[in-house]
Order: sequence, then structure tokens, then C-alpha cells
Amino acid sequence: MSQYPADADFRIKPREVADKSSRETLSKAIRMALAVESEPVRRNTNTFNQNRYTAVRTIDDYEALKDRARAIKEKAIEQIESSVAVLRKVIEERGGHFYLAKDGADANAYILEVCQKHQAKLAVKSKSMTSEEIRLNGVLEGAGIEVAETDLAEFILQVADEQPSHIVAPAIHRSRERISKLFKDVFHPEQPLETGEDLTKFAREILRRKFLTADVGISGANIIDAETGTIVLVENEGNIRMVTQAPPVHIAVAGVEKIVPHWEDLAPFIELLAPSGTGQPLSQYTNILHPPLKMPSFSFDGRPRRERAFYLVLVDNGRLRMRHDTELKRALYCMRCSACLNVCPVFQVLGGHAFGGETYSGGIGGAWEAGTGSLEKARFSELCTGCSRCVRQCPVRIDIPWLNTVLHDRLNQLDGKGAAALFFGKLFGSESRDREAGVEKQFFGNYATFAKAGSAFAPLSNGISALSPVRHLMEKMVGLDHRRRLPAFQKNTFTKKFAAWQKGREKSSGGKARPAKVLLFADIYTNFLHPESGMAAVKVLDALGIDVRLSDVPAEGRAALSQGMVETAARRANRVAHDLENEIDRGWKIVVPEPSVLALFRRDYKNLLNNNTLFEKLRENSLGAVEYLGHYLTENKIPLQAIFDANRFPPGKRLFYHGHCQRKSLGGIPDEGALFTELGFDVVSSKVECCGMAGSFGYKKEFYDVSMKIGEALFQQIRLADGENPRTIVTGGISCRHQIEEGVHRPVFHPMEVLEKILAAEGGGLS
Amino acid sequence: MKPSEMFDPKWVDRFVKAAEAAAATVERIGRSPEALKSALVQAAGETEPVLLAEPDFLPPELFAPFRELSNVITHPDDKQLASVRIGVTDAFAGIARTGSVCVSISKNLGGSVSLFAREHIAVLDARSIVPRPRDLFSNHYFQRERLPENFVLITGPSATADMGELVRGVHGPGRVHILLII
Repeated sequence: MSQYPADADFRIKPREVADKSSRETLSKAIRMALAVESEPVRRNTNTFNQNRYTAVRTIDDYEALKDRARAIKEKAIEQIESSVAVLRKVIEERGGHFYLAKDGADANAYILEVCQKHQAKLAVKSKSMTSEEIRLNGVLEGAGIEVAETDLAEFILQVADEQPSHIVAPAIHRSRERISKLFKDVFHPEQPLETGEDLTKFAREILRRKFLTADVGISGANIIDAETGTIVLVENEGNIRMVTQAPPVHIAVAGVEKIVPHWEDLAPFIELLAPSGTGQPLSQYTNILHPPLKMPSFSFDGRPRRERAFYLVLVDNGRLRMRHDTELKRALYCMRCSACLNVCPVFQVLGGHAFGGETYSGGIGGAWEAGTGSLEKARFSELCTGCSRCVRQCPVRIDIPWLNTVLHDRLNQLDGKGAAALFFGKLFGSESRDREAGVEKQFFGNYATFAKAGSAFAPLSNGISALSPVRHLMEKMVGLDHRRRLPAFQKNTFTKKFAAWQKGREKSSGGKARPAKVLLFADIYTNFLHPESGMAAVKVLDALGIDVRLSDVPAEGRAALSQGMVETAARRANRVAHDLENEIDRGWKIVVPEPSVLALFRRDYKNLLNNNTLFEKLRENSLGAVEYLGHYLTENKIPLQAIFDANRFPPGKRLFYHGHCQRKSLGGIPDEGALFTELGFDVVSSKVECCGMAGSFGYKKEFYDVSMKIGEALFQQIRLADGENPRTIVTGGISCRHQIEEGVHRPVFHPMEVLEKILAAEGGGLS
Repeated sequence: MKPSEMFDPKWVDRFVKAAEAAAATVERIGRSPEALKSALVQAAGETEPVLLAEPDFLPPELFAPFRELSNVITHPDDKQLASVRIGVTDAFAGIARTGSVCVSISKNLGGSVSLFAREHIAVLDARSIVPRPRDLFSNHYFQRERLPENFVLITGPSATADMGELVRGVHGPGRVHILLII
């Protein structure tokens, strides 16, 4: 199945590709991950997702709780200095020690000093991403102190010498078979360790001895409140309980952003963390601690009992600087639940060794690597396709795709300065700042320029771009993968077809007043690539008595945004929004057949428009084509089924529906698959987050394999739903359409095309 | 403590369901030392050593008949603590939504007994069940001063999925049995 050599032969080690400063390393990491780590990551993240959906349903005020958590975090980050001062006092007053370390080296030096003061020979450690970030283990081991990782996943990683690939389940990339082989090679067990039970028992026995003889326990902290100095630690295995109770000395290491001001502030995080992460109502153990503990210390190995001591080490390491970064600041709200990793289609096929850096992974990982390390190390954030599936899953409502766009933009500036890029950037219409971005980005970010030219010279342009030498040249020049065919440009564009249709219609129709007015947004993709789906929307709306006009065909900023060309995207967004505002003020609804553009108007423009009132206006007045139709029919009490009867759809009632990622992520938008079921269709809906094409993402040479790997799951679902008898495939997104057409080699239709075919069929339409 | 005044019997059913979903087992018992003793004997047996952590919340008299049995250890040495198979503790609260029992970590060893044992038997007064985790943090149910200084919310047996499949019983108990005093 895999085009890559099997595990045993694959020689790229995760650690070698952890630092993604260079593009070559990123590519290498992707190859390694697709070959070796993809399957367990996909399986495990899917389990987390299913459990999360179930768990959050049990929280009756889930949305309000997320708002509350976000508000607490905003306030907490705002007043972090005063919280640190309060917390220091509280911890010291109850006999603990408090240390604010300015960076990793500072923290490590302090922790080493504490260990040496207590004559530590063995430290047992529970999972702490912060300790990974500061590379604590190496420093302690360098000084002759044994460090035992006791979280089973961290234990595996310690044995394998690999970095975490997930912030909650750090060994998510290893199948049971690969763990079994690792243990066999390293430990040479007498009995073969095959089942999860065998492996767990084996590790437990090793670790139990460590717990009972350790001098120091090192933990992280999930949340800390300043008011009472409570340390909250969440876990499933019991190793954190051991680490914090068994040894006499407890050192907790955490990022300084983990402090919330008040005791009451802890509750929303406790209620949200486990459901959002592993999808449990609560983890097996939620430790609520005010160390040092009052109970006497133990003497399991006969050594004299020692007095219990507690040290809280909070690490700055760039966080306080991040606070002054208007954009990356929001990453500090993260509670490290991993929902954004699990729901991410790219993460699902790669895991965090490719979609991640030296410590942090997934969509949120880029901001963290940039904030605590350097911008170059966030290179993997270019793997974020902007699909937005994570946005509604984040319990503190961080707009993660936007953080990645910002990183993308900054990386463009860092990489830029190439003469070719500057030249092409100007030629293709990028704003001055964005001319720094690479030639490839100038190409994808200014797609409108090419589409116009391509359409003008169609079909010649299509013929040329389909030629093999040209495809290889394009791959070399602009990074367009030669295995992809560029979608054919249409000579007879949506605009042209609409004009011709309108001419014919004016002759035939009377002057009957039409109160419902729709401005159909003619995006560049529909206009130049799929005018027929635009015309289907026109005809359906017109047949229902709606006055339909067509917008101009401006570049609306989606392409530029996807390349991190923020200035260009913002310029385009402001221009388009102002034009549309005039129409909205005159009572027109903006109907947008292409979901990626709808999502732009309803979500992404928030970050691009200079005027928030204008954004709200556009958000409220733009609707998807099917969505608008639904509202219109309901308002006018027209029964849907009477007009669009599935029995009249010529190809038959069996449909496969795939929902566009950004559309699904908007929330509060009707499920089109369910609507088709209501019309009497037999519908199977896709169960993937995204098709994997995601605009230009799948066309890029760098990401083609990732895109197809994501697509594979969707293609399989289609084949399975087909059985012997192919279904009509329906999706709103033009890039989903191209991805599916390449995957299953048959045409795909926009929902409005299906509805239009029903109307056009014999006996269909309005009486 | 406030909870008993605000107790809602609906929470008991919800608690039992959630605890069972978290792979704990629950048994409802009567409110008397004899009822508790007989349930504990049934669960733990009369021969194998059983560690009993002195209760932090429930009245000690409630455990009196059980405490007198010859296999019950109330003041373990560290070796016994580390090697015991069955441990009994009380819980100061239960959480209906999640089926968690809240055990204090104090000099009474409830925290350690509920950790080192392979099998944990928790005794919970049904009247100290609160609806949601957040109710532990609000003065509405618990005055902060009345909460134990250190405690753990235990939601079923310890577990891991790190070895490629779900395994119960890692560093903590592999079985949690809750005796719910009605």
C-alpha cells in the first residue's frame, strides 16, 4: 500500500527532523511520517474525536463554558505579573519554594541545584511539555542524576529516543507492534511482550521500583491558581499521583501562562480539559494539590524518612514577550488539550513529527515553537491548510488557522528578498510587503490573474498546461506538482453565460415585481472553472421568483490569504467588502455558491477588514446558496419536497455528499446532506474532516502526498458507499470537487446543480 | 457541610451510571456500621490483608465493626503500603456527571491506599454527591475551608492507551468498587 519502504528499512529518525528550520527537513519529515507513523496516528486521533464529541455533549452549557474559559485566560494573561507576585507569596507562606525562570537554561540550572541540594540520584518524572521544551532531562542526566519518565508514552519515547508527536498522547505515532519490537530490541524480555497488557505490565514493574526509590518527583502542572496556589494535575495512569506522593521532594515545572487568578477559575478548565482532549468526562485522576503535602514521607527502601519539600518552577522562556505580540499572544490561552491536533486532517495523516517542531505540534504548535524558540522553527505551520476544523473545537476559542496565516506571512518576509519573487509579485498584483514571498506563493496567491489570462486563451491555455514538459516546468518554477492537472479554464465564463441568459430572460418575462433580491457572488473559481454550477444557482433562484444579479469577479483574497500574503488579502478583502456593502444597504442578500468564499466573508474577513461593523454586516448578509434557498422557502411557506422531489432527479436517488471543511466549521449552518435526505434522497455523507485539496495545498509539490493521503480516506468512503452501483457525488467546494474527481475519476456536482436538474426534469419545477 | 442539605436523589442514579461508564462498580448499601462491614467483607474477604485508611470525612464509628477484623490493617508500614492488594478509603464527595469519587490526600493515608492498592474500595455517602465537577469549586456546595487541602478526583480505575490498546490497572488500581451509602 505504501510507496515507501517498511519501518525497519526507513532510516530517518524523528529527532533528526525535529527542527523544521529548513524546507528540506520538513519534506524529509513528511516522507518519514507518511511511511511509518500515519496509520496509528489516524486511528488514535479518530478515537479521540469520537470520544470528544460524546463527552462535550454531556456538558449542557458547553458553549458558555468555553466563553468563560476564554474570558478567564484573557484576564489571566493580562495580569500575569501581579498573579506571579501573589502566587509566590502563597507558595512561600505554606513552606514551598517559588522560582520564576527567565529561560530554559535558568530553569534547568535551578532544578539541578535543587536536586543536588537534596542529594538526588534518581528523579521520577511525569509528563511535562515545558520540561521537554527546556530539555531538562539532558541537563540532569549530564550531572549524573537518573531521570525516569513514568508516563508510559514518555517511557516509550525515552527508550526510543524520540520527541513527543502529540501534546497529550506523546507516543501516538507508535503502533502496538512497533512498541513491542522496540521493547524486544532494547530489553530482551524472557517472555515475548505482545499485547498491550503485557507491555503495560512490563513497564509498570520497572517503574514501580523507580517510584519507591526516587529522591525527587518532577511533574508539570495543568493549571495553577494564584489565590490559593492550587496545582491541578490531570492524568489517567496514576504516575502523577506516584510522582507527587512517593518521593519526599516534589518539583513542579510549568509555563508561566498556566496561572489563573482565582480558585473559582479552575473549574471551567477542569471541566473542559479531559472532554476536549481524550474525550473523557474527566480523566481517571484529577489531582488538586497544595504541596508540600502534610502526610509524612515514605521510606520504602529503608533509608531514613526525609522532610517533604516542594518547589514550583515557572518558566518564561519567551512567554512574557509573546504577550506583547498582538497576534501570537492568543496562543498563550492554550490549555494544551490537543483537540486541534486530533480534528486536523493534516495531523491525522502525519502526526506531530512532521506537523510539529522540537516540542510542540499541530496547528497550535507553530505559534509555540515561534514564541519559545524562533520563527524558523515554526516552518511546519505551512502545513496548516486553513480548513478551520479546529476552530470550533478549541475550548478557549483560539483562531488557530489565523495564527498560522500570521506565521506564514512572517516566514514569507524572512525567506523573501529574491529578485524573481519581487518581479513576479509586482507583475501578478501582490501588495508591496507580500512581494517578498516566494515565486510559488506569488503564483498561488494571485490565482485570479492566471485564471483571467487562462480563460482568455482557453482552450489553448488548457492544452498547453496539460502538456507533460509544461507540467514539469511548472513544478520547477512555481512548485505545482506535475501529477496534478490544473483544472480547465472555461472560455465561456459564468459572467458571459449569465449575460446571455439574462438577455433571453428579459425578452420572455413580464415586469412582475420581485421583492427578494439576491446578488450572487461570482467568485473567480466558479466564474472561470465551473460556470455551470453558478448558472444552476441562478436558474433555481430565478425559478422561485427571486431577483438574481451577478457581482463583479474580484479577487476576494482567499488565494492570497492561503499563501500568508496578508497585506494583499486585506487589500482585496476591504475592496470587496466595500463594494458588497452598497448592495447590502440596498436590501440585497449576498449569496455565495463557493463555500471557501462564504467562509471568508463569514469568518476570515474578521481578521482582514479594517472595520468590524462592516464585517458584521457582511457576515449577517452573506449566505450559502442552499442555505439561502432554505430560508426563502421557509419564510414563504413553500414546502421543499413539493418542488425538489428526489424522484425526479434523472440519475436516481442515491447520493454521496461531502461537506466542505470551512463550511462545516462555520457553525449554525444547515447540513446539506440532511437536506437532501429530507428531499427523499438516499444519502451517504462523508466522515472526513476535509478532502485534502484545500485550495492550492494539494497542488503543491511539497504537499501533494499529504493531500492524497488525506483524500484516500474520502475516496474509500465513496467506493464503499457506491457498492456495485455508483452514487451521484455532491459537494459545494470547487477544490473538493477536483480532489474527488482525481480520486474516483467521475464527475462531481454542486448541490445547486442537483436541484436545478430536478427543476429542469420532466414534470418538475413550479406549477 | 452543605451538600447534604442540597442533595437531590436524581444525582445518585446519574452518579451510578457515570461511574459504571468509567468502569467502576457501584453497590448501594444501608447506613449502618453493620451494613458497611458486611459489604466490605463481601468485597474484600476475611483472610487476605486489607488496608483501611482512617476516614477523613465519614464518622470513624461507621467503620468500627470492620476495623476489628483480624485481616484489616489500619497502620501499615511502608512495605505493607507498597505491596497491598486491597485498600479501603472513604470519599468526601461524589460527582454525578462523571461518576468520580473525591478522596483526600492526608496523613490518614487515603491518598496512598487508593493509589498503591490493585483494588480500591471507596465508601461514599450518597448525600455528598454534587452534580458537576465545578460544584467542588463553588461556595454554593462546598465552603473552600471545608475542602481537604489535597485531594484527588478518582474516575474509575487507572488506565492507559499508550501501549496501543486500552489497559486498565497501570500505576494505580485496576479495579474501583464504590460502596454507596444510601
